[in-house]
Amino acid sequence: MATPPSATAPGTSPSLARSRPRHGEQIIKVVLLLAALVSVATTIGIVVSLLEPTIRFFGEVSAVEFFTSTSWGPLFEPPGYGVLPLVSATLITTGIAVVVAVPLGLGAAIYLSEYARPRVRQICKPVLEVLAGIPTVVFGFFALSFVTPLLRGILPFEIEIFNALCAGLVVGFMIIPIVASLSEDAMTAVPRALREGSFALGASKMTTSVRVVLPAAFSGIVAAVILAVSRGAGETMIVYIAGGGQPNFTFDLGKAMQTMAAFIAQAGSGDVPIGTVDYNTIFAVGSLLFVMTFAMNYVSARLVRRYREVYE
Amino acid sequence: MTDIGTSIPSVTVRGPQAPGNTAALDPVFTVSDLSVFYGEYEAVRQVDLSIGNREITAMIGPSGCGKSTVLRCFNRMNDLIPGARAAGKILYHGEDLYGDHVDPIEVRRRIGMVFQKPNPFPKSIYDNIAYGPRVNGTKGKMDEVVEEALTQAALWDEVKDKLKQNALSLSGGQQQRLCIARAIAVKPEVILMDEPCSALDPIATTKIEDLMQQLARDYTIVIVTHNMQQAARVSNRTAFFTADVDDKGERHGRLVEFDETSRIFTNPTDQRTEDYITGRFG
Amino acid sequence: MAVLSTPRSAVQLASKGRPVREHLFRIALIASLGIAFVFLAALLSYVLVEGWPRIDSRLWENMPSVRNPDIAGAQSAITGTLWVISLTAVLTLPTGIAAAIYLEEYADKTRWWNRVIELNIQNLAAIPSIVYGILGLGIIARTFGLGFSVITASMTLGLLVLPIVIIASREAIRAVPPSIREGSLALGATQWQTISRQVLPASIPGIATGSILALSRAIGEAAPLLMLGAVSFIRFNPDGVFASYTVLPIQIFNWISQSREGFHVLASAAIVILLLILLLMNSVAIWLRNRYQKRW
Repeated sequence: MATPPSATAPGTSPSLARSRPRHGEQIIKVVLLLAALVSVATTIGIVVSLLEPTIRFFGEVSAVEFFTSTSWGPLFEPPGYGVLPLVSATLITTGIAVVVAVPLGLGAAIYLSEYARPRVRQICKPVLEVLAGIPTVVFGFFALSFVTPLLRGILPFEIEIFNALCAGLVVGFMIIPIVASLSEDAMTAVPRALREGSFALGASKMTTSVRVVLPAAFSGIVAAVILAVSRGAGETMIVYIAGGGQPNFTFDLGKAMQTMAAFIAQAGSGDVPIGTVDYNTIFAVGSLLFVMTFAMNYVSARLVRRYREVYE
Repeated sequence: MTDIGTSIPSVTVRGPQAPGNTAALDPVFTVSDLSVFYGEYEAVRQVDLSIGNREITAMIGPSGCGKSTVLRCFNRMNDLIPGARAAGKILYHGEDLYGDHVDPIEVRRRIGMVFQKPNPFPKSIYDNIAYGPRVNGTKGKMDEVVEEALTQAALWDEVKDKLKQNALSLSGGQQQRLCIARAIAVKPEVILMDEPCSALDPIATTKIEDLMQQLARDYTIVIVTHNMQQAARVSNRTAFFTADVDDKGERHGRLVEFDETSRIFTNPTDQRTEDYITGRFG
Repeated sequence: MAVLSTPRSAVQLASKGRPVREHLFRIALIASLGIAFVFLAALLSYVLVEGWPRIDSRLWENMPSVRNPDIAGAQSAITGTLWVISLTAVLTLPTGIAAAIYLEEYADKTRWWNRVIELNIQNLAAIPSIVYGILGLGIIARTFGLGFSVITASMTLGLLVLPIVIIASREAIRAVPPSIREGSLALGATQWQTISRQVLPASIPGIATGSILALSRAIGEAAPLLMLGAVSFIRFNPDGVFASYTVLPIQIFNWISQSREGFHVLASAAIVILLLILLLMNSVAIWLRNRYQKRW
């Protein structure tokens, strides 16, 4: 049959030392590590690109004015450097978005996780993915040329062509898939035994969903909402197209407002000379937006880790 | 293990009839004072045993007794587990297996392994066999290598017409013989088998056991098994492991007895061995 | 669970209140999903109906114009998108896949630097896209001196979608059972041989799916490119990686900004083209996912 294996007699077998050098293996590992470090370099790049102009900005504009003044108009004469109108606009549009996205997203998530048959789920989830895959410039166009005219037709009060209400509503629809799919993940992670325990006590499906599954998945749902809020707060195209470009410090939802992201897009797309205060302003607002979204993501990530620890 | 009965003579011992079994042991591996650690935890304590050339050595014992851990030291597969560390000595033909100059990859080329669950690659049958020789730098004449390995593993007749088919289309028993053929194709000296039949039905198990008997003419085989009858049927020598529980409640595997299979199953010297093989324990 | 603590008599079992409430709740849930679907349907049909008259060869044969919507097209934007996305793919896919291989196959999770890399990728995935525009403007366009060119846009978009590529590739690599790696290593294969000949081929469908989704995100992205010179009026196709460029989403944005109705029709038509490209890419991704799902 077969030829016997090469070396059998003790002592005659060749050494177990490496028969040929393999430097390639080490080089490959280093190359792969370098690729992974690109992501770290990206973060450092973002922080560095934000930090230097921001520091220069606060060399010329006082932090007190930046954070307390309600007049924003760095490109106007005389310039105003109070970021509050941008922050309030961001909070208002994001707030409207949350009012839309949380009930609808959560309702969709409960339906998909607790009620829908597998076949229905198989169809509905990809449709939500389609909604998530629509480019934001398309949402912005739809907001400006369809939703706003529609609102103007049906609302009893006056709204401008560019307004925070429409921008916020459409941002809300944009983030529904985030709320829905992440909340559904959190709810499916709740062990079946908890539900069965509730059913065994005679609870109905609704009682079980609302009183057992929702509380058990609570931290995961909160994480989903925070992530969606941070996505909404950083959203640019919709609020830039539909919300308008005027930094009004107002709480009238029918008025045009400029969010932080929309300001960055507007000022950044113009031809602002490098090194001027106007140029540095973009980065100062960028820093504030970065810090705000970073904080929200951090909280969200902690919460997700918590529910993972509990059930996995 | 309840089917083994309580009286020792009911176990059929094939060991003495198996080829190559003599009292004089021609060692391939000499293990002395081997302890294996996973981080701080000592999984196996102070094992001494020898593996004879072209013999089948079985390692048996209750689960968690460290027999698989010891097996995985022979081809340094334990190196892949973070924090795993072996203390003591394993000599392979007199050469320290854990010596500084030793290349684990070279070790694995010399010492093949078959796993508990058949793990064919999601490729064709042909590519499964050819993979080992290819990564080892063999060039040309691959068809012959494949045919020879499949023939040795008693699989050639069943698959010769479908070598291009995906290996995952084979039955469980065929997949395991394919894995054996895959190991043989590298022309190792030793084949380690980690409970190779535990996922298979009795008919497939019989085929693998017959195959092991044939392979023992050319190869040194070490098999870990839960099935004592299997150890009794196929092996020349048997090592019986058990686990001690220390004050902290941690289990440490240790070797209780190592001897010719016929003696382990008919006249064990240690009470624990006797308890285990007669089914009073384990 | 206060509701459950009150004992219920047999009479209450027959009560009508509960089924009605149950029913309303169920309807409310279906309605939430339904409203989202209606919104999506309204959006898609609106752009299709609006854009229909202008979906013709003028769209890809003519160059943009801000004077006459009847002769304006999006050729430079379409070729610009092809240039930018191809280069993005060339830059980001190898980097992302390599990073994923490192994190799954080589990184020792007990080392702090590997945990930092991992956390960092999660954070990057959640940074607003406009902030990547700031990175592109401050570092890539200015510090690297690459200016407002195709390569600046591709590098910026590449970094933006890098976390998506890494996360998807890691999942695909993790789905390859450890027994495949063990089987390969036990035959004397080196770690890289094991990865390149077993792990990667087995995870390619998953990696490809994730890569396509990442690139389709990059195709639709407009915000960071607003800051990187894509808004300027471009009437020529890019002729290299250092050329000026515009892309489809930005061209759409420019037309939206025009007040004349004809440009909004044009924007709708261009949106339909953009959505068709995305639909095509996503279909390929879904087909790949279903075709090669779980083979063991």
